[in-house]
Amino acid sequence: MPRAIRGVLIECDPSIKSIIVNIDSDNHEFIIEDLDDERVVVKENMVPLLKQKLEDVCLLLSLVALHAPWGL
Amino acid sequence: VVDQIRLWQLENERMKTTGGFLFRDFDDHKEYLDTSKFAEEIGVLVWRSDKTGMFFANKHEQIRDYLKSRKRAE
Repeated sequence: MPRAIRGVLIECDPSIKSIIVNIDSDNHEFIIEDLDDERVVVKENMVPLLKQKLEDVCLLLSLVALHAPWGL
Repeated sequence: VVDQIRLWQLENERMKTTGGFLFRDFDDHKEYLDTSKFAEEIGVLVWRSDKTGMFFANKHEQIRDYLKSRKRAE
């Protein structure tokens, strides 16, 4: 029997998608279905928190890159 | 830092979000093909994967009715 699951389709770069998968791996509270390298379906109510977490991670990565001895 | 943040904002803009419904667990591949084709025809299909037999649509009402009428016709 086919099912329709409510959610939000996120389409993005593979790099961003891998960060989303990583954020989800803690408690598996975001992802409904991992579709492919550039797409993932997440729970509708978790999108704002996911975006917040993504911004945190990317800001952190920016700071790490800025202070990395090998430069960027 | 400002440049790095700008870089991230660009990335963020490249992230596209679409609210809707993931259709999966079709009884067979033909049911998936017919239903995703119907979704495409009525203009609600956002993404499909013939390999995994799943598709994403931004509306579900007409697809639900279509699936019901299919079951009745069987």
